[in-house]
Amino acid sequence: MSGGHTRRELLGHAARGLALTGLGGVTGVLFLKAHATNAWAIDAGRCVNSRLGAFGIDACQRCATDCVLSLSAVRAVNEFSRCGRCYVCPAYFKITSAVGPDGLPSERVCPRDAIKREAIGWIDPDDPANNFYEYSIDESLCNGCGLCVMECKEPAGLGSIRLEVRHDVCLDCNRCSIAAVCPEDAYDRLPSPVT
Amino acid sequence: MRGSLLAIVILILAAAPAAAQQIDYSRPVDVAPSEETIGEGYVAPDVQRPLPRGGFWQVADVVLLAVALGVAAWLALRRRQRGWLVALTVACVAYFGFYREGCVCPIGSTQNVAVALVDPGYAVPYYVVAIFVLPLVAALFFGRVFCAGVCPLGAIQELMALKPVDVPRRLDAALGWLRWVYLGLALYYAVQPAVDRDFLICRLDPFVGLFRFTGPAWLLMVGGLFLVAGIFVGRPYCRWLCPYGALLSAFSRYAWRSFSITPDRELDCGLCEHACPYGAIEERRAVRTSCFACGRCYGSCPVQRASQTVAP
Repeated sequence: MSGGHTRRELLGHAARGLALTGLGGVTGVLFLKAHATNAWAIDAGRCVNSRLGAFGIDACQRCATDCVLSLSAVRAVNEFSRCGRCYVCPAYFKITSAVGPDGLPSERVCPRDAIKREAIGWIDPDDPANNFYEYSIDESLCNGCGLCVMECKEPAGLGSIRLEVRHDVCLDCNRCSIAAVCPEDAYDRLPSPVT
Repeated sequence: MRGSLLAIVILILAAAPAAAQQIDYSRPVDVAPSEETIGEGYVAPDVQRPLPRGGFWQVADVVLLAVALGVAAWLALRRRQRGWLVALTVACVAYFGFYREGCVCPIGSTQNVAVALVDPGYAVPYYVVAIFVLPLVAALFFGRVFCAGVCPLGAIQELMALKPVDVPRRLDAALGWLRWVYLGLALYYAVQPAVDRDFLICRLDPFVGLFRFTGPAWLLMVGGLFLVAGIFVGRPYCRWLCPYGALLSAFSRYAWRSFSITPDRELDCGLCEHACPYGAIEERRAVRTSCFACGRCYGSCPVQRASQTVAP
Protein backbone atom coordinates (compact mmCIF):
# COMPACT_ATOMS: atom_id res chain seq x y z
CA MET A 1 0.00 0.00 0.00
CA SER A 2 2.73 2.42 0.99
CA GLY A 3 4.71 1.35 -2.08
CA GLY A 4 1.82 2.35 -4.34
CA HIS A 5 1.59 5.64 -2.57
CA THR A 6 5.24 6.34 -3.18
CA ARG A 7 4.98 5.40 -6.81
CA ARG A 8 2.06 7.74 -7.18
CA GLU A 9 4.05 10.51 -5.55
CA LEU A 10 6.99 9.82 -7.83
CA LEU A 11 4.74 9.93 -10.87
CA GLY A 12 3.35 13.23 -9.63
CA HIS A 13 6.87 14.64 -9.24
CA ALA A 14 7.82 13.46 -12.70
CA ALA A 15 4.69 14.89 -14.29
CA ARG A 16 5.18 18.19 -12.49
CA GLY A 17 8.81 18.36 -13.55
CA LEU A 18 7.84 17.57 -17.13
CA ALA A 19 5.12 20.21 -17.18
CA LEU A 20 7.45 22.83 -15.68
CA THR A 21 10.12 22.01 -18.25
CA GLY A 22 7.55 22.28 -21.03
CA LEU A 23 6.29 25.63 -19.77
CA GLY A 24 9.88 26.81 -19.39
CA GLY A 25 10.62 25.80 -22.96
CA VAL A 26 7.56 27.59 -24.33
CA THR A 27 8.44 30.68 -22.29
CA GLY A 28 12.01 30.58 -23.57
CA VAL A 29 10.98 30.28 -27.22
CA LEU A 30 8.47 33.12 -26.87
CA PHE A 31 10.91 35.36 -24.99
CA LEU A 32 13.47 34.95 -27.76
CA LYS A 33 10.86 36.24 -30.20
CA ALA A 34 9.42 38.92 -27.98
CA HIS A 35 11.78 41.76 -28.92
CA ALA A 36 8.97 43.23 -31.00
CA THR A 37 5.26 43.05 -30.60
CA ASN A 38 2.43 43.10 -33.05
CA ALA A 39 -0.03 45.93 -32.64
CA TRP A 40 -3.05 47.02 -34.62
CA ALA A 41 -2.30 49.48 -37.41
CA ILE A 42 -4.13 50.97 -40.38
CA ASP A 43 -2.97 50.33 -43.92
CA ALA A 44 -3.37 53.74 -45.61
CA GLY A 45 -3.38 52.10 -49.02
CA ARG A 46 -6.53 50.22 -48.12
CA CYS A 47 -8.43 52.61 -45.82
CA VAL A 48 -11.14 54.20 -47.93
CA ASN A 49 -10.66 57.58 -46.25
CA SER A 50 -7.01 57.85 -47.20
CA ARG A 51 -6.80 55.69 -50.30
CA LEU A 52 -6.31 57.68 -53.51
CA GLY A 53 -9.02 57.37 -56.10
CA ALA A 54 -11.84 57.00 -53.58
CA PHE A 55 -13.20 60.51 -53.88
CA GLY A 56 -16.55 62.24 -53.77
CA ILE A 57 -17.98 59.52 -51.51
CA ASP A 58 -18.97 59.60 -47.86
CA ALA A 59 -16.13 59.02 -45.44
CA CYS A 60 -16.24 55.75 -43.52
CA GLN A 61 -16.51 56.55 -39.82
CA ARG A 62 -16.24 53.08 -38.34
CA CYS A 63 -12.96 53.93 -36.57
CA ALA A 64 -14.82 56.52 -34.53
CA THR A 65 -17.89 54.44 -33.78
CA ASP A 66 -16.62 50.89 -33.33
CA CYS A 67 -13.66 51.07 -30.94
CA VAL A 68 -14.39 49.57 -27.52
CA LEU A 69 -13.01 52.72 -25.92
CA SER A 70 -15.42 55.62 -25.42
CA LEU A 71 -12.98 57.85 -27.31
CA SER A 72 -11.57 55.75 -30.10
CA ALA A 73 -7.89 54.78 -30.04
CA VAL A 74 -7.73 55.99 -33.65
CA ARG A 75 -6.75 59.62 -34.22
CA ALA A 76 -6.18 61.82 -37.24
CA VAL A 77 -2.59 63.01 -37.51
CA ASN A 78 -1.38 65.88 -39.66
CA GLU A 79 2.00 65.21 -41.25
CA PHE A 80 3.29 68.81 -41.19
CA SER A 81 6.00 68.19 -43.76
CA ARG A 82 3.30 67.49 -46.34
CA CYS A 83 0.71 70.08 -45.23
CA GLY A 84 0.10 72.89 -47.73
CA ARG A 85 -0.91 75.30 -44.92
CA CYS A 86 -3.57 76.72 -47.25
CA TYR A 87 -5.71 79.76 -46.53
CA VAL A 88 -8.76 77.65 -47.31
CA CYS A 89 -8.05 74.14 -46.15
CA PRO A 90 -10.56 71.67 -47.60
CA ALA A 91 -10.16 69.46 -44.54
CA TYR A 92 -10.85 72.37 -42.20
CA PHE A 93 -13.59 74.26 -44.05
CA LYS A 94 -16.55 72.58 -45.64
CA ILE A 95 -15.84 74.15 -49.00
CA THR A 96 -19.33 73.48 -50.27
CA SER A 97 -20.96 75.48 -47.49
CA ALA A 98 -22.24 79.04 -47.91
CA VAL A 99 -19.69 81.83 -47.75
CA GLY A 100 -19.71 83.81 -44.51
CA PRO A 101 -19.13 87.55 -44.02
CA ASP A 102 -15.34 86.99 -43.86
CA GLY A 103 -15.31 85.44 -47.33
CA LEU A 104 -14.58 81.99 -45.95
CA PRO A 105 -16.89 78.96 -45.96
CA SER A 106 -19.15 79.16 -42.94
CA GLU A 107 -19.05 75.48 -41.93
CA ARG A 108 -16.26 73.23 -40.67
CA VAL A 109 -15.52 69.66 -41.67
CA CYS A 110 -14.65 68.41 -38.19
CA PRO A 111 -17.84 67.58 -36.25
CA ARG A 112 -15.96 67.89 -32.97
CA ASP A 113 -14.01 71.05 -33.78
CA ALA A 114 -10.74 69.23 -33.10
CA ILE A 115 -8.72 71.04 -35.80
CA LYS A 116 -7.07 74.32 -34.82
CA ARG A 117 -6.31 76.90 -37.50
CA GLU A 118 -3.64 79.49 -36.75
CA ALA A 119 -2.03 82.04 -39.00
CA ILE A 120 1.74 81.79 -39.26
CA GLY A 121 3.47 85.14 -38.70
CA TRP A 122 2.03 88.50 -39.67
CA ILE A 123 -1.14 88.63 -41.78
CA ASP A 124 -1.83 91.39 -44.25
CA PRO A 125 -5.40 92.45 -43.35
CA ASP A 126 -6.06 93.40 -46.99
CA ASP A 127 -4.82 90.10 -48.35
CA PRO A 128 -5.22 87.35 -45.74
CA ALA A 129 -5.18 84.67 -48.43
CA ASN A 130 -1.54 85.39 -49.12
CA ASN A 131 -0.35 83.71 -45.99
CA PHE A 132 0.33 80.32 -44.47
CA TYR A 133 -1.91 78.76 -41.86
CA GLU A 134 -1.06 75.98 -39.51
CA TYR A 135 -3.60 73.22 -38.91
CA SER A 136 -3.06 71.13 -35.81
CA ILE A 137 -5.30 68.43 -34.41
CA ASP A 138 -6.29 68.30 -30.77
CA GLU A 139 -5.89 64.67 -29.74
CA SER A 140 -8.20 64.99 -26.78
CA LEU A 141 -11.05 65.93 -29.12
CA CYS A 142 -10.35 63.90 -32.25
CA ASN A 143 -12.23 60.61 -32.41
CA GLY A 144 -10.72 59.34 -35.64
CA CYS A 145 -13.86 59.68 -37.76
CA GLY A 146 -11.66 60.37 -40.78
CA LEU A 147 -13.82 63.08 -42.39
CA CYS A 148 -10.81 65.41 -42.63
CA VAL A 149 -8.64 62.61 -44.03
CA MET A 150 -11.14 62.11 -46.84
CA GLU A 151 -11.18 65.84 -47.66
CA CYS A 152 -7.44 66.39 -47.39
CA LYS A 153 -6.32 63.77 -49.84
CA GLU A 154 -5.29 64.44 -53.43
CA PRO A 155 -6.39 66.09 -55.58
CA ALA A 156 -8.32 68.55 -53.36
CA GLY A 157 -5.56 68.60 -50.76
CA LEU A 158 -2.05 67.29 -50.42
CA GLY A 159 -2.98 64.23 -48.37
CA SER A 160 -1.09 65.25 -45.25
CA ILE A 161 -3.67 63.97 -42.77
CA ARG A 162 -3.83 60.28 -42.00
CA LEU A 163 -5.53 58.02 -39.50
CA GLU A 164 -3.37 56.31 -36.93
CA VAL A 165 -3.88 53.88 -34.05
CA ARG A 166 -2.44 55.38 -30.88
CA HIS A 167 -0.68 52.40 -29.32
CA ASP A 168 -0.54 54.05 -25.92
CA VAL A 169 -4.34 54.16 -25.77
CA CYS A 170 -5.16 51.06 -27.79
CA LEU A 171 -6.14 48.13 -25.57
CA ASP A 172 -4.68 45.76 -28.14
CA CYS A 173 -7.76 43.57 -28.12
CA ASN A 174 -7.26 40.19 -29.68
CA ARG A 175 -10.45 40.83 -31.60
CA CYS A 176 -10.10 44.49 -32.55
CA SER A 177 -13.71 45.51 -32.94
CA ILE A 178 -12.87 48.10 -35.60
CA ALA A 179 -10.89 45.55 -37.61
CA ALA A 180 -13.89 43.24 -37.41
CA VAL A 181 -16.12 45.78 -39.18
CA CYS A 182 -13.61 47.61 -41.40
CA PRO A 183 -15.16 47.42 -44.87
CA GLU A 184 -11.76 47.53 -46.57
CA ASP A 185 -9.86 45.11 -44.29
CA ALA A 186 -7.40 47.91 -43.67
CA TYR A 187 -6.53 46.75 -40.16
CA ASP A 188 -3.71 44.40 -39.44
CA ARG A 189 -1.34 43.56 -36.64
CA LEU A 190 2.01 44.99 -37.53
CA PRO A 191 5.29 45.01 -35.59
CA SER A 192 5.42 48.01 -33.30
CA PRO A 193 7.88 49.28 -30.70
CA VAL A 194 7.27 48.64 -27.01
CA THR A 195 8.76 50.60 -24.19
CA MET B 1 -3.73 67.10 -62.81
CA ARG B 2 -5.50 70.18 -64.21
CA GLY B 3 -8.28 68.04 -65.58
CA SER B 4 -8.93 66.32 -62.31
CA LEU B 5 -8.90 69.64 -60.45
CA LEU B 6 -11.46 70.98 -62.87
CA ALA B 7 -13.53 67.86 -62.41
CA ILE B 8 -13.54 68.39 -58.66
CA VAL B 9 -14.57 72.00 -58.98
CA ILE B 10 -17.40 70.98 -61.27
CA LEU B 11 -18.35 68.15 -58.96
CA ILE B 12 -18.40 70.46 -55.96
CA LEU B 13 -20.40 73.07 -57.86
CA ALA B 14 -22.88 70.46 -59.01
CA ALA B 15 -23.32 69.05 -55.54
CA ALA B 16 -24.03 72.42 -53.93
CA PRO B 17 -27.54 73.81 -53.74
CA ALA B 18 -28.04 76.43 -56.40
CA ALA B 19 -29.01 79.21 -54.01
CA ALA B 20 -26.11 78.88 -51.51
CA GLN B 21 -23.09 80.92 -52.37
CA GLN B 22 -19.84 79.11 -51.98
CA ILE B 23 -16.22 79.72 -52.65
CA ASP B 24 -14.63 78.76 -55.92
CA TYR B 25 -12.17 76.25 -54.56
CA SER B 26 -9.00 75.08 -56.15
CA ARG B 27 -5.95 73.84 -54.45
CA PRO B 28 -3.47 76.69 -54.25
CA VAL B 29 -0.25 74.66 -53.92
CA ASP B 30 1.12 71.46 -55.32
CA VAL B 31 3.88 70.95 -52.79
CA ALA B 32 3.97 71.64 -49.10
CA PRO B 33 5.83 74.84 -48.17
CA SER B 34 9.03 74.24 -46.28
CA GLU B 35 10.14 76.11 -43.19
CA GLU B 36 12.34 78.34 -45.39
CA THR B 37 9.46 79.19 -47.75
CA ILE B 38 7.29 80.18 -44.82
CA GLY B 39 10.10 82.16 -43.25
CA GLU B 40 9.67 84.48 -40.27
CA GLY B 41 11.48 81.98 -38.08
CA TYR B 42 8.72 79.44 -38.44
CA VAL B 43 9.45 76.01 -37.04
CA ALA B 44 7.14 73.16 -38.02
CA PRO B 45 5.69 71.48 -34.93
CA ASP B 46 6.46 67.84 -34.21
CA VAL B 47 4.18 65.33 -35.84
CA GLN B 48 2.23 63.32 -33.30
CA ARG B 49 3.87 59.95 -33.72
CA PRO B 50 1.97 56.99 -32.30
CA LEU B 51 3.49 56.61 -28.86
CA PRO B 52 4.73 53.18 -27.91
CA ARG B 53 2.57 51.39 -25.45
CA GLY B 54 3.30 52.27 -21.87
CA GLY B 55 5.32 49.63 -20.03
CA PHE B 56 4.08 50.61 -16.60
CA TRP B 57 0.67 48.97 -16.75
CA GLN B 58 2.10 45.84 -18.32
CA VAL B 59 4.52 45.37 -15.43
CA ALA B 60 1.79 46.34 -12.97
CA ASP B 61 -0.56 43.72 -14.41
CA VAL B 62 2.02 40.95 -14.20
CA VAL B 63 3.06 41.89 -10.65
CA LEU B 64 -0.54 42.18 -9.50
CA LEU B 65 -1.43 38.85 -11.10
CA ALA B 66 1.49 37.16 -9.33
CA VAL B 67 0.57 38.79 -6.02
CA ALA B 68 -3.11 37.85 -6.40
CA LEU B 69 -2.15 34.24 -7.18
CA GLY B 70 0.11 34.13 -4.14
CA VAL B 71 -2.54 35.62 -1.87
CA ALA B 72 -5.17 33.20 -3.22
CA ALA B 73 -2.86 30.24 -2.59
CA TRP B 74 -2.08 31.44 0.93
CA LEU B 75 -5.73 32.06 1.77
CA ALA B 76 -6.96 28.76 0.34
CA LEU B 77 -4.18 26.48 1.54
CA ARG B 78 -2.94 28.11 4.75
CA ARG B 79 -5.48 30.52 6.13
CA ARG B 80 -8.37 28.24 5.11
CA GLN B 81 -11.11 30.83 5.40
CA ARG B 82 -13.77 31.82 2.93
CA GLY B 83 -14.24 35.43 4.01
CA TRP B 84 -10.88 36.68 2.79
CA LEU B 85 -11.21 34.69 -0.43
CA VAL B 86 -14.45 36.56 -1.14
CA ALA B 87 -12.66 39.83 -0.50
CA LEU B 88 -9.94 38.83 -2.97
CA THR B 89 -12.62 37.85 -5.50
CA VAL B 90 -14.29 41.25 -5.23
CA ALA B 91 -10.95 43.03 -5.56
CA CYS B 92 -10.05 41.03 -8.67
CA VAL B 93 -13.42 41.63 -10.36
CA ALA B 94 -12.93 45.32 -9.68
CA TYR B 95 -9.35 45.52 -10.93
CA PHE B 96 -8.87 42.86 -13.65
CA GLY B 97 -12.53 43.03 -14.67
CA PHE B 98 -13.94 46.50 -14.55
CA TYR B 99 -10.78 48.61 -14.30
CA ARG B 100 -8.56 46.76 -16.76
CA GLU B 101 -11.65 45.82 -18.79
CA GLY B 102 -10.86 42.11 -18.87
CA CYS B 103 -7.69 42.46 -20.99
CA VAL B 104 -5.03 41.02 -21.18
CA CYS B 105 -6.40 37.78 -19.82
CA PRO B 106 -4.63 34.42 -19.61
CA ILE B 107 -7.64 32.72 -21.22
CA GLY B 108 -7.38 34.65 -24.46
CA SER B 109 -3.58 34.67 -24.36
CA THR B 110 -3.69 30.93 -25.05
CA GLN B 111 -4.45 31.85 -28.66
CA ASN B 112 -1.68 34.44 -28.93
CA VAL B 113 0.82 31.98 -27.52
CA ALA B 114 -0.33 29.32 -29.98
CA VAL B 115 -0.03 31.73 -32.91
CA ALA B 116 3.42 32.88 -31.77
CA LEU B 117 4.60 29.28 -31.60
CA VAL B 118 3.32 28.49 -35.10
CA ASP B 119 3.72 31.74 -37.06
CA PRO B 120 7.35 32.91 -37.36
CA GLY B 121 6.23 36.49 -38.10
CA TYR B 122 4.09 36.84 -35.01
CA ALA B 123 5.43 37.67 -31.59
CA VAL B 124 3.78 38.22 -28.25
CA PRO B 125 5.19 40.72 -25.77
CA TYR B 126 6.90 39.53 -22.57
CA TYR B 127 3.99 40.43 -20.35
CA VAL B 128 1.53 38.32 -22.37
CA VAL B 129 3.88 35.34 -22.02
CA ALA B 130 4.09 36.00 -18.28
CA ILE B 131 0.34 36.33 -17.96
CA PHE B 132 -0.16 33.06 -19.83
CA VAL B 133 2.43 31.09 -17.85
CA LEU B 134 1.93 32.37 -14.28
CA PRO B 135 -1.47 30.75 -13.56
CA LEU B 136 -0.26 27.44 -15.02
CA VAL B 137 2.85 27.44 -12.83
CA ALA B 138 0.65 28.33 -9.86
CA ALA B 139 -1.60 25.38 -10.77
CA LEU B 140 1.42 23.05 -10.73
CA PHE B 141 2.24 24.13 -7.21
CA PHE B 142 -1.04 25.05 -5.53
CA GLY B 143 -3.89 23.86 -7.78
CA ARG B 144 -6.40 26.13 -9.49
CA VAL B 145 -5.78 29.21 -7.37
CA PHE B 146 -6.21 31.36 -10.48
CA CYS B 147 -9.83 30.22 -10.63
CA ALA B 148 -10.23 30.88 -6.91
CA GLY B 149 -11.08 34.49 -7.57
CA VAL B 150 -8.19 36.00 -9.50
CA CYS B 151 -9.69 35.39 -12.94
CA PRO B 152 -12.28 38.15 -13.47
CA LEU B 153 -14.52 35.86 -15.51
CA GLY B 154 -14.54 33.26 -12.76
CA ALA B 155 -14.74 35.83 -10.00
CA ILE B 156 -17.89 37.51 -11.34
CA GLN B 157 -19.57 34.09 -11.57
CA GLU B 158 -18.27 33.09 -8.15
CA LEU B 159 -20.04 36.10 -6.65
CA MET B 160 -23.26 35.14 -8.46
CA ALA B 161 -23.40 31.52 -7.20
CA LEU B 162 -25.98 32.25 -4.52
CA LYS B 163 -28.44 29.33 -4.69
CA PRO B 164 -26.48 26.59 -6.41
CA VAL B 165 -28.11 23.22 -7.04
CA ASP B 166 -26.26 19.94 -7.46
CA VAL B 167 -25.61 18.91 -11.05
CA PRO B 168 -25.61 15.14 -11.63
CA ARG B 169 -21.99 13.98 -11.64
CA ARG B 170 -22.12 12.22 -14.98
CA LEU B 171 -23.71 15.22 -16.67
CA ASP B 172 -21.09 17.46 -15.06
CA ALA B 173 -18.28 15.23 -16.29
CA ALA B 174 -19.75 14.96 -19.79
CA LEU B 175 -20.22 18.71 -20.13
CA GLY B 176 -16.64 19.18 -18.91
CA TRP B 177 -15.40 17.75 -22.23
CA LEU B 178 -16.84 20.82 -23.98
CA ARG B 179 -13.88 22.77 -22.58
CA TRP B 180 -11.45 20.64 -24.58
CA VAL B 181 -13.58 20.91 -27.71
CA TYR B 182 -13.68 24.69 -27.31
CA LEU B 183 -9.92 24.79 -26.70
CA GLY B 184 -9.32 22.70 -29.80
CA LEU B 185 -11.55 24.90 -31.96
CA ALA B 186 -9.98 28.08 -30.58
CA LEU B 187 -6.47 26.83 -31.32
CA TYR B 188 -7.51 25.64 -34.78
CA TYR B 189 -8.91 29.04 -35.75
CA ALA B 190 -6.03 30.91 -34.11
CA VAL B 191 -3.24 29.16 -36.01
CA GLN B 192 -4.78 29.83 -39.42
CA PRO B 193 -2.88 32.16 -41.79
CA ALA B 194 -3.28 35.82 -40.79
CA VAL B 195 -6.16 36.60 -43.17
CA ASP B 196 -8.36 33.79 -41.86
CA ARG B 197 -7.21 34.08 -38.27
CA ASP B 198 -9.97 34.30 -35.71
CA PHE B 199 -9.66 34.62 -31.95
CA LEU B 200 -12.77 32.68 -30.97
CA ILE B 201 -12.24 32.90 -27.22
CA CYS B 202 -12.09 36.69 -27.36
CA ARG B 203 -14.86 37.12 -29.90
CA LEU B 204 -17.24 34.91 -27.94
CA ASP B 205 -16.20 35.98 -24.43
CA PRO B 206 -19.59 36.45 -22.72
CA PHE B 207 -18.37 38.57 -19.81
CA VAL B 208 -15.88 41.03 -21.25
CA GLY B 209 -18.74 43.08 -22.70
CA LEU B 210 -20.22 43.42 -19.23
CA PHE B 211 -16.88 44.72 -17.91
CA ARG B 212 -16.68 47.26 -20.72
CA PHE B 213 -20.37 48.18 -20.80
CA THR B 214 -20.28 47.69 -24.55
CA GLY B 215 -20.29 44.92 -27.13
CA PRO B 216 -22.65 43.06 -29.43
CA ALA B 217 -26.15 42.98 -27.95
CA TRP B 218 -26.55 39.22 -28.29
CA LEU B 219 -23.25 38.60 -26.54
CA LEU B 220 -24.20 40.90 -23.66
CA MET B 221 -27.43 38.93 -23.37
CA VAL B 222 -25.53 35.64 -23.34
CA GLY B 223 -23.28 37.07 -20.62
CA GLY B 224 -26.35 38.13 -18.63
CA LEU B 225 -27.89 34.68 -19.10
CA PHE B 226 -24.69 33.03 -17.85
CA LEU B 227 -24.78 35.22 -14.76
CA VAL B 228 -28.47 34.52 -14.07
CA ALA B 229 -28.00 30.79 -14.69
CA GLY B 230 -24.94 31.02 -12.44
CA ILE B 231 -27.15 31.87 -9.48
CA PHE B 232 -28.51 28.32 -9.59
CA VAL B 233 -25.75 26.41 -11.40
CA GLY B 234 -22.35 27.29 -10.02
CA ARG B 235 -19.93 28.89 -12.51
CA PRO B 236 -21.25 27.31 -15.72
CA TYR B 237 -18.66 28.96 -17.98
CA CYS B 238 -15.71 27.89 -15.83
CA ARG B 239 -16.84 24.30 -15.49
CA TRP B 240 -18.00 23.50 -18.97
CA LEU B 241 -16.63 26.04 -21.42
CA CYS B 242 -13.44 27.72 -20.21
CA PRO B 243 -10.61 26.47 -22.47
CA TYR B 244 -7.94 27.76 -20.11
CA GLY B 245 -9.75 26.01 -17.28
CA ALA B 246 -9.22 22.75 -19.19
CA LEU B 247 -5.47 23.40 -19.18
CA LEU B 248 -5.53 24.40 -15.53
CA SER B 249 -7.36 21.28 -14.47
CA ALA B 250 -4.86 19.15 -16.39
CA PHE B 251 -1.97 20.95 -14.70
CA SER B 252 -3.56 20.91 -11.25
CA ARG B 253 -3.77 17.12 -11.38
CA TYR B 254 -0.04 17.15 -10.63
CA ALA B 255 -0.12 19.99 -8.14
CA TRP B 256 2.54 19.92 -5.44
CA ARG B 257 0.09 21.06 -2.77
CA SER B 258 -3.52 21.73 -3.43
CA PHE B 259 -6.73 22.70 -1.76
CA SER B 260 -7.55 19.91 0.67
CA ILE B 261 -10.04 18.83 3.25
CA THR B 262 -8.07 16.99 5.90
CA PRO B 263 -9.37 14.93 8.82
CA ASP B 264 -6.94 16.47 11.29
CA ARG B 265 -7.87 20.07 10.54
CA GLU B 266 -11.48 19.61 9.51
CA LEU B 267 -14.11 17.33 10.99
CA ASP B 268 -14.30 14.69 8.23
CA CYS B 269 -18.07 14.55 8.67
CA GLY B 270 -19.13 15.10 5.06
CA LEU B 271 -21.21 18.22 5.71
CA CYS B 272 -19.04 20.04 3.22
CA GLU B 273 -20.07 17.85 0.29
CA HIS B 274 -23.35 19.69 -0.02
CA ALA B 275 -21.72 23.04 0.48
CA CYS B 276 -19.70 22.65 -2.73
CA PRO B 277 -21.62 24.18 -5.66
CA TYR B 278 -19.18 22.72 -8.18
CA GLY B 279 -19.37 19.02 -7.36
CA ALA B 280 -15.71 19.09 -6.45
CA ILE B 281 -15.94 17.10 -3.22
CA GLU B 282 -16.03 13.34 -3.54
CA GLU B 283 -15.82 10.97 -0.57
CA ARG B 284 -15.25 13.92 1.75
CA ARG B 285 -12.14 14.99 -0.19
CA ALA B 286 -11.60 17.88 -2.58
CA VAL B 287 -11.09 16.87 -6.20
CA ARG B 288 -8.15 19.01 -7.17
CA THR B 289 -8.89 19.12 -10.91
CA SER B 290 -12.35 20.61 -10.50
CA CYS B 291 -11.93 22.52 -7.21
CA PHE B 292 -12.03 26.30 -7.67
CA ALA B 293 -10.70 26.86 -4.13
CA CYS B 294 -13.66 29.04 -3.23
CA GLY B 295 -13.55 27.94 0.42
CA ARG B 296 -17.29 27.31 0.80
CA CYS B 297 -16.50 23.92 2.36
CA TYR B 298 -14.44 25.59 5.07
CA GLY B 299 -17.36 27.89 5.74
CA SER B 300 -19.62 24.90 6.32
CA CYS B 301 -17.19 22.96 8.51
CA PRO B 302 -18.17 22.77 12.19
CA VAL B 303 -14.54 22.66 13.32
CA GLN B 304 -13.69 25.70 11.23
CA ARG B 305 -16.66 27.58 12.64
CA ALA B 306 -15.75 26.67 16.18
CA SER B 307 -12.11 27.66 15.75
CA GLN B 308 -13.08 30.93 14.09
CA THR B 309 -15.41 31.97 16.88
CA VAL B 310 -12.79 31.18 19.51
CA ALA B 311 -9.76 32.62 17.76
CA PRO B 312 -10.58 34.62 14.63
